[in-house]
Amino acid sequence: MIRLERVGKTFPGREGGVEALREVSLRVAPGEFVAIVGASGCGKSTLLRLVAGLVPPSAGRVLLDSVPVEGPRAETAMVFQAPTLLPWADVLRNVTFPLRLMKRAGPATEDRARGLLATAGLSGFEHRLPRELSGGMQQRVAICRALLQEPRVLLMDEPFGALDALTREEMSLELLRIWQGRQMAVLFVTHSIPEAVLLADRVVVMSPRPGRVADIIEVGLPRPRGFEQEGSDTFQHCARRIRALIYGDRLSRAA
Amino acid sequence: MQERPAGPAGGGFRLPAALRGAAPGLLAVILLFLIWEAVCRLFGIREFLLPTPSAIFSASIAAWPLLLWHAWATFLTVLWGFFASVAISLPLAMLIASSPAVSAAIYPLLVITQSIPKVALAPILIIALGANELPRIIVTFLVAFFPLVVGTVAGLLATPPELIELGRACRAGRMQELLRIRLPFAIPFVFGGLKVAAALAVVGAVVAEFVGADAGLGYLIQTSMAFFRTPLAFAAVVALAIMGILMFQAVSLTERLLFPWSSGAEPPAPGI
Repeated sequence: MIRLERVGKTFPGREGGVEALREVSLRVAPGEFVAIVGASGCGKSTLLRLVAGLVPPSAGRVLLDSVPVEGPRAETAMVFQAPTLLPWADVLRNVTFPLRLMKRAGPATEDRARGLLATAGLSGFEHRLPRELSGGMQQRVAICRALLQEPRVLLMDEPFGALDALTREEMSLELLRIWQGRQMAVLFVTHSIPEAVLLADRVVVMSPRPGRVADIIEVGLPRPRGFEQEGSDTFQHCARRIRALIYGDRLSRAA
Repeated sequence: MQERPAGPAGGGFRLPAALRGAAPGLLAVILLFLIWEAVCRLFGIREFLLPTPSAIFSASIAAWPLLLWHAWATFLTVLWGFFASVAISLPLAMLIASSPAVSAAIYPLLVITQSIPKVALAPILIIALGANELPRIIVTFLVAFFPLVVGTVAGLLATPPELIELGRACRAGRMQELLRIRLPFAIPFVFGGLKVAAALAVVGAVVAEFVGADAGLGYLIQTSMAFFRTPLAFAAVVALAIMGILMFQAVSLTERLLFPWSSGAEPPAPGI
């Protein structure tokens, strides 16, 4: 469904600009959960923005359903690291905002929004303002906002990065529960290796400057996933391989 | 309306708390007036130099229809000037925020208008436009509009880039981005500018009236002083202060009623 063919991205700047991505090729199947990990500066977010159609590639092609992505599309929705809610709108109006902006809001939109908020444990908060919610709740609203668009591709840019460790684990499981019920591919950028292994079917490990795909790890853990799997050999094996790819010989030399 | 969680000072404690907040300010004002009164009486300061607060008060009472009539004239100038500021500043701010090139072209002009003393400009405008209301409104506008433009531009440009990206991901056009994202985000900044503009509009109206007017509190101050009726001039000054406070409070109230999410983010205004 998503296909990246030898994609490169260079941001203009002094002395020829900054090369963020080089020769990145990747395929994501419909309904697949793919995590992208890598050190900061490896172009993870840029990759996501390319798929979202927010920035054009400098080289190669980004295809969605075999059609080149030339701008933001209705099939994709994005969740950012910060909740980025509208401070003036209540929770319900925040969730329906993209559909209203795209003039795709129908009579059933509000009911669907209420339903989504209920599954995210936000019943009764529909008419609260964002600043009255905790960080975790705000990010749940942001996820509901993306899901209401019924995207076939959900792009998540370190969505739990700003949350505390406990809220983070809770949200991960919730995300898996929500994802399981829908035909939706997820591209999930994170810098947490356990989070990537827990969530994803495949983990794309990227190396920095310029960003390239170092390797793609298949996570063979059965679903539904849970934290009890963290102790399993498969989990540990995957995490070790990812870690080795990211830190390379730096870590092996220390060992 | 929005449901808002009651603060620690909610319910029946709100009024006493508000009074307690205003009490030190009120006390200081009363004390100042008492000292003023005492000094005037003790040193026998003549009334046309510095009238006592009680003399000002009795002058206000004695001349209240006159005072009210002049206050009304000033108030109209203030209102027109204020609304002109709003009507011109907001589109101007949007224009400036829309592109760095436009901003670079317009900002120097704005700074020039701010560098010119309005008192110097007023007589020229009156010659050019005639002795009517228009030059006074223009002077009021010139004094009041600048902070509103600056505040609104700051608000429009302060919109977080993620929010702009969200709009772009939803395929919002430039106009939609401005009206649905940037402008609402700028509301608290706009009201910051409006509060300053409201207070400055009173200043602007008086400046204009000093130069050319046949009515208004500024005119009353000048004519009173020409005849050494200092208590009446002071009464006009007090009326101006009250007008400024009312304008400021009216803007605050509008913000609280129309945009409760905006004003709630600020610390409560000190009681006046």
